[in-house]
Amino acid sequence: MTTRQATGATALPEPPAWQRAADALAFEWTKLRSIRSNYWTLLIAAAASIGITLIVGHTVGATSAGPPPGPLDPLVVSFLGYAAYGVLPVTVLGVLAFTSEQSTGLIRTTFTAVPRRWTVLAAKAAVTGAAAVAAGEVLAFACFFLTQALLSGKHGVSLAHPGALGSVLGAGFLMPSCVLVGLGLGAIIRHTAGGIAAAVGVIYLIPLLCLSLPAPWRTDFGRFTLPFAAYQVVTLHLQAALFSPAVSLAVLIAWPAAILLIAGLLIARRDA
Amino acid sequence: MTIGATAAGPRPGPGAGALIPILVIAVAFAVFCLVNLARTRQVRYLPKWGWAIIICLSMPWGGIVYLILGPVREAPSLAPGYPARPQPTAGAPRRFPRHRAGGADIEVSSLVKRYGEVTAVDGLSFSVRPGHVTGFLGPNGAGKTTTMRVILGLAAATSGSAVIGGRRYAEIARPLREVGSLLDAQAVHGSRTAWLHLLSIARSNGIGRDRVTEVLGLTGLDAVAGRRVGGFSLGMKQRLGIATALLGDPPVLMFDEPVNGLDPEGVRWIRELLRALAAEGRTVLVSSHLMSEMAMAADQLVIIGRGRLLADTTTERFVESNARRNVLVASPRAADLANLVTARGASVTPEDDGRFAVTGMDSPAIGDLAAEHGIAVHELVPRHASLEDAYLDLTSASTDYRAGGTAPDERISSTAPDGTARR
Repeated sequence: MTTRQATGATALPEPPAWQRAADALAFEWTKLRSIRSNYWTLLIAAAASIGITLIVGHTVGATSAGPPPGPLDPLVVSFLGYAAYGVLPVTVLGVLAFTSEQSTGLIRTTFTAVPRRWTVLAAKAAVTGAAAVAAGEVLAFACFFLTQALLSGKHGVSLAHPGALGSVLGAGFLMPSCVLVGLGLGAIIRHTAGGIAAAVGVIYLIPLLCLSLPAPWRTDFGRFTLPFAAYQVVTLHLQAALFSPAVSLAVLIAWPAAILLIAGLLIARRDA
Repeated sequence: MTIGATAAGPRPGPGAGALIPILVIAVAFAVFCLVNLARTRQVRYLPKWGWAIIICLSMPWGGIVYLILGPVREAPSLAPGYPARPQPTAGAPRRFPRHRAGGADIEVSSLVKRYGEVTAVDGLSFSVRPGHVTGFLGPNGAGKTTTMRVILGLAAATSGSAVIGGRRYAEIARPLREVGSLLDAQAVHGSRTAWLHLLSIARSNGIGRDRVTEVLGLTGLDAVAGRRVGGFSLGMKQRLGIATALLGDPPVLMFDEPVNGLDPEGVRWIRELLRALAAEGRTVLVSSHLMSEMAMAADQLVIIGRGRLLADTTTERFVESNARRNVLVASPRAADLANLVTARGASVTPEDDGRFAVTGMDSPAIGDLAAEHGIAVHELVPRHASLEDAYLDLTSASTDYRAGGTAPDERISSTAPDGTARR
C-alpha cells in the first residue's frame, strides 16, 4: 500500500498560476476560432452594420435638415446600423459560446480539463470579450468613416472633432458588453433558445418597455438600460435626463459584470 | 461632447479620401474572416507563406494581425492531394511510451449522491489499483456514470469522498496529465475538426501539438483528422473520445461504456488497448453493463446495483464462486435415474425430450450411479452456467428497469420432478 502510494503520487511540478490562466485562455481561444459559424456570424454582423449604415447615411445625407425630433447628430446616425443590427448576431454568438457546449455535453470535457469553473468562465469571457472588442471597434470605425463620407459637405464631422474619437471608441464597447451579457445568460439558462430570448429581452425589450412608461419614469428607469447608456456614450447632444457619458459607460460594464457574476456563482455550484 | 450644432451649416468633414480607410477596413475584415474559414476547414489552398504574402501585399497591417493571431499550422498532411505520412493502421495499439512510472489508486469511500428524492449512489466504497483493468459493472441506472462523474469532480458528492492518488480531482493542477477520461463520446461539437477538437483540449493542459498527432495515430484517426466531427460514426467518435483520454499520457484512465456502438473489430481493439494500458502499470477503470465484455477485458470486477456495492473481487474468483454448473442427462429410464440422483441430495430440472439437468453432482458420479443400477445413459454433458447468468443473478434484485416475463433466477433454479421447487 505504501509503495503503491509512493509511486502513484508522483505529482507533476505545479505550473504557476499565470501558466494555468494562459492554458485556459488558449483552450477557449482555440475553441472559439475552430467553429466555422462564428466567422459567418461576424460577417453577417459586418454586413448588417455596413449595409444599414449605408442606407441611413444616404438618407440623412440626402436631406438638408435634421430628422424630425431634434438636431441631426452625425455620431448617433453613424451607429444606428451597428448598434441596432450588427450587435445582435454577435450577442447570439456569446450565448452559443456557453450553450453549445452545454447542449452537446462538451462542457463536461471542458470542466474535466479545467476543473476550476470560475477559471473556465473568466477565460470564456476574456476570449469572447476580446474578440467582440476587436470586432466592435473595427465596425464602429468603419461605420463612422462611412457615414461621415456620405454626410460630407453637409453635416459630417471628422475624427478630430471634439468628442468624436471617444464616441467611436465607446460605440465599439457596446459589442463586448452585449456579447458578455449573452455569454452570462447562456451560462445561467443553459439552453440556447432560452439564452437568446433572455439576451434579446435584456438588450432590446427592457428598454422598449421603458419607452412606454410615463414621462419621468421613462428616463429614470431607461437610463439604466444598455441602449440608453449607449446613446449617451456616443451622442454629441447629451440628454439631461440620462446619465453622463462616464456613468453610462459604467452601465455598459455593470450589466455584463453582474450577469457574469451570477453565472459564475451558479456554475461553480451546479453539477455539470 | 455638446459642441456642434450641426444644423448650422456645412462643416469641414472628410472628403472622398475617407473612403480609402473604409475600404481597407472592410476588405481586411472580409479577408480575415475568409482566411479563418479556410483554416477551420483545414483546406490548404496555399501554403501559409502564400497567404501571408497575399495579405501583406493587399494591406500590410492585415498581415500583421494575421500573424499575431496565429499562422496557419495545419494538422499534418490532411487535404486530399497531399502525400499522407505513412501511419500504422488501427489494428493493434502501439506501446505507449511511459513518461512516468506507476498509476495511482482511485479510492471511493462511503460515497453518497442524491438527486432530490433519488439516491443514485448509496454508500459506495471501493478502490481501483494500478496495473489491472478494473471492470465497473452494473445494470442501467446502477450509478456507474454518477460515480465516475463524482470522481471527476463534475458532480458534488452528497457525502463521502472520491480521490485519485490521495487528491480530489479538482485539486489537480493539470488534470488531463494525471487522469484521462471518456464519459460520453457523443459530447463533441459537430462543426469542429477532430484535430482542432483535440488541439483545444490539449492546450488547456499545456500539452503539445506533437502529442495530438500521436494520439490521432494511436487511435487510427489520422486519416480523418481534418474532417468535421459531426460526420463521424459512433465508432469514430469513441476513438476520438479515447484519443482525448490519452492526450495527457495519464497514469489513471477511466472509460464509461467505451464499447457501446462499436463493431466487433472495434470492441477487440478497445479490449487490447485496455490490457496494454494496464500492462504498463496504469490504473484502468472501465464501466460496462455487459458482463461478457468485462469477463474478457477485466481482471478485477467492481459490481454495483442501485448505487450499492454487490461485489468487489477478481474476475477469476467471481467466476469460481458464482458460475454454477450442472450436467445434462438423457436416459431411456429418466424418471428412475432422476429419483436416484435426487435421493443422493442433488437436484433435478426436467428439460426437453425427456432429458433433465442435474445440479449438485458431477458427471462421473452420475455415470457411476447409473452403472451401479444398470441404467443406460445416452447423454452425459457437463455444462457451465454462463458468467452472464451469474451476473444477472447478482444484480436482478437491484435492476431498475427489467422486461416483464422470465426473471433471470428461473434459468438456474431447479425443480424436482415431483414439482417441488428447490434451489
